[in-house]
Amino acid sequence: MSGRGGIVEAVRRANAPKPPEHSGRLRVAATCSVAVSLLAAAAEHEIARSTVVLCIALVSAGMAFSHRSRNRTLGWVKVGVAVGALAAMGWFVEQLSGGPVGDITSVEDPLTILFAWVLVVHSFHVPARRDVVFALAGSGAMMAVAAAQAVDMNFGLYAVGWIACGLWTLLEVGAAASGGGRPRVRVSAGSAAGLMVAGLVVFLLLPAPTAGVRLDFRNAAGSAGPVAHPGALAGDAGSPLELSHPGRSSGPTGVGGFLGFAGSLNTAVRGHLSDRVVMLVRASVPTFWIGETYDHWSGQSWSATDTRSLVLDGGSPFSVPAPPSSRARPGVDDLQTFYIKDATADLVFHADQAQQVWFPAPRLYLQPDGSLISPIGMGQGAIYSVDSSVQQPPPADLRAAPPGPSDSGYTQLPAPYPDVHQLAVSVTAGDRDTYDTVQSLIAWMGANTRYSTDIPALPPGADAVRQFLFASRTGYCEQISTALTVMLRTLGIPAREAVGYVPGPYNPVTDLYQVREEDAHAWVQVYFPRYGWVSFDPTAVVPYANPSPGATALRIVGHFLARLPWPPIGVAAGGMGAAGLVAGAVRRRRATGRLSPAERAVRQMERAGRRAGRPRTPSETVIEYGRALAGGWPEVARAVDAAAYGAEEIPAAQWGALLRRAESVAEREAAPA
Amino acid sequence: MTGGRCHPARPWGPIPGSLALVLGWWLVAHSSGQGWVQALGDAVTAAVLLGLLGPWLALRRARVEIAHAPLDGTAGRPVEIALRRSAGIRLTPVDPPGPARTEGALEVVAARRGVVTSVTVEMATAAPFGVQWWTRRVVLALPHPLHIAPRRGRPGAVPAPAEDTAARDVPDPRPGPFGDLRAPRPYRAGDARKSVHWPATAHTGELMVRETERPRGQPPELVVDLPADPAAAEAEAERALATALALVDRHGAVLLTTTEAAGTRRGVVADARQAGRRLAAAK
Repeated sequence: MSGRGGIVEAVRRANAPKPPEHSGRLRVAATCSVAVSLLAAAAEHEIARSTVVLCIALVSAGMAFSHRSRNRTLGWVKVGVAVGALAAMGWFVEQLSGGPVGDITSVEDPLTILFAWVLVVHSFHVPARRDVVFALAGSGAMMAVAAAQAVDMNFGLYAVGWIACGLWTLLEVGAAASGGGRPRVRVSAGSAAGLMVAGLVVFLLLPAPTAGVRLDFRNAAGSAGPVAHPGALAGDAGSPLELSHPGRSSGPTGVGGFLGFAGSLNTAVRGHLSDRVVMLVRASVPTFWIGETYDHWSGQSWSATDTRSLVLDGGSPFSVPAPPSSRARPGVDDLQTFYIKDATADLVFHADQAQQVWFPAPRLYLQPDGSLISPIGMGQGAIYSVDSSVQQPPPADLRAAPPGPSDSGYTQLPAPYPDVHQLAVSVTAGDRDTYDTVQSLIAWMGANTRYSTDIPALPPGADAVRQFLFASRTGYCEQISTALTVMLRTLGIPAREAVGYVPGPYNPVTDLYQVREEDAHAWVQVYFPRYGWVSFDPTAVVPYANPSPGATALRIVGHFLARLPWPPIGVAAGGMGAAGLVAGAVRRRRATGRLSPAERAVRQMERAGRRAGRPRTPSETVIEYGRALAGGWPEVARAVDAAAYGAEEIPAAQWGALLRRAESVAEREAAPA
Repeated sequence: MTGGRCHPARPWGPIPGSLALVLGWWLVAHSSGQGWVQALGDAVTAAVLLGLLGPWLALRRARVEIAHAPLDGTAGRPVEIALRRSAGIRLTPVDPPGPARTEGALEVVAARRGVVTSVTVEMATAAPFGVQWWTRRVVLALPHPLHIAPRRGRPGAVPAPAEDTAARDVPDPRPGPFGDLRAPRPYRAGDARKSVHWPATAHTGELMVRETERPRGQPPELVVDLPADPAAAEAEAERALATALALVDRHGAVLLTTTEAAGTRRGVVADARQAGRRLAAAK
């Protein structure tokens, strides 16, 4: 009895009216916190912007009303707040009644509006300090809802703003609790520093928030439109505008994007891969995100033999049946969510073996190799989630696995490769199981080949594997993985080429892998009977090529020069030369135009002397030079002397006659007899 | 300042609430798998940690010292003690008790007479966020004893002064704290305020006090024997003070006999301060 009474008393004490809070700054700070949280929710498209503006206005008005009425007990306000909260709760329950139970995605939007409504209603009854703190806590809930949708760093602006407003509010609470007044500067600065340090420590200590609890399976359609042929892979036409070739049409090939996300993979052509982020991925297990696999090798290109798709319909979530070559043993469960940031191939990338897919389309297409094809364009804003089984068998288990069937299509070769076979046998001599064989070949790749994306073009008709293994020994993931696949096949080990993305850099704040265009990758899958297809990445052990600096510089310069638009450059250079000549002539004419007739006559005499092989020396007077030239030039020199020093006016016609005569005499004397 | 350990005050509200907040946030982060939720949750956790443990740190670093304390006080009346203190710390006198103050001097109100040599105060702060209060009790030693005199109660019967002819013949030239005016002299530390001779002070420009000569006769004697019961002893001390002051008023002085910790003490008192100090120390 006494215990029950104690509880009642404790509840009564907790609900007893608290003294009114007189700090206006505290209310302003709390209002700012609420406003920032509402804006953050709007930025994540959880609530309409117009609604947010209305909510902020109402919360501000409510806080002002609460401040003015803090010393009065207004019963009707309490009743109004209670009725408002109940109405909001009733609306929320009604919104949920039609949707599937447990699907958090259908709850998010009504939940956000419910929080916003509660924040608005509560703001009209905030008499005490404790109530203001509740408003701050409510803004925190709203921020959590917004943060649950945020996948990029732009949200950091709202996060920093809310933390700053929250810190301000808490400092005002502390100052009010300590007797009022403004928060002291030292305390504020120390608190901010302490908050940063403590937050950083907590951030460093806590593990990443893996989506272990299955509440959130995101999927949303993006901005890209429908694909031309649903169920078929886009990109076979090789157009840079196709979805499978996102990116700029630049680079040596003039093709943007990775060329392997199509019906075939030509190892002789490499698209330009930029550092543009293609998609953000949240996954509990970072692994290859596979797009598709190839089983048929032609000597230069990979392709898939069987492209008949199985239509998965029934809507999201799609259950993906295991392909015939699937493993028997289940792997590690891995839930991934893909946030598409830019147009990409119509492949549904996923980790290892997809089991269930939450996808914003009425159907999906499943290829025999386990690849999933989207019927809609995968544009910016598209979101989908995949639940995969990731196989991570330990090496001991793989060593114990029996060899795969050597007569399957996955040992196909376009022609016998005796030299490759000989090399593979010599490298793997002594290996008694498939796993060790694969590891030996990978180690050989690491020791004997070099990674470079700048490789010479494949000669016409040449085999890409032979060119790589016996000529250049330099290549990138496609050459390296293809060579390993072919070497394994020559040994009768079933292997195939897989293409997709590596995880890319991990962002510790968003807990997302940033998959860039240049993270497109090709690797090898080897079949182990009890485990299915197991991925191996030979490229990871191959060191970078180390060419000479001079050759690299020349190659860079050569590539740069080769990419220059020479016709317009030639036209521009020619135009500039012509313009220079014209400008020189104009300058000469202008300079000559400013000379007197006597000076022009001296210039002409000097030119004639240079032509005759008798240039004027610096010490020679005009008279002396004219005598030296002989002919009609002494007469010209005397006329110059008379004009310059005798102030004798010589008509222009006379100058012309004198000069013409001198030139003609000189020509006659210069002419051969 | 000698102090004990820091304790959270009424922790069953803020601490479980804060932990529930952090746990809830962590659950949201780990159900959604969203990094931003966790990043914000880190900030919330840091704020909670700072709010819960910041006061503890502030309290450990806080310093309080007594700058000045009076010599005398009266039971039931406030006594102000000047402090040098860290800012933002709430101080509540515990022994002797007093009201809590965030700034300014300490005010203690002793309920009973006695000699106070130290003050026990409770330091408290919720800085920086006001989430959780932490307290710490410290003992502040007074620079000198503070005598808390009893309240002035009802005086007992006071005899009228009698003509003592025998005493008149005895010459007694020594100055004393009571008796007839001998001459004004400059003020010395310890002189009673009421002995200031204002006309002489005004005349000379420095503070002058009356120097008196002991009267020719012995003052009346008041023997105070306090009972063991504290309440009864307090009442008896109040009555003794009132009686002693009445005797001082009538006879100029009283020969007060009390029992102190060191033993019986017998001496002449001529003003309220001396009487109060004697009764404050009486057992």
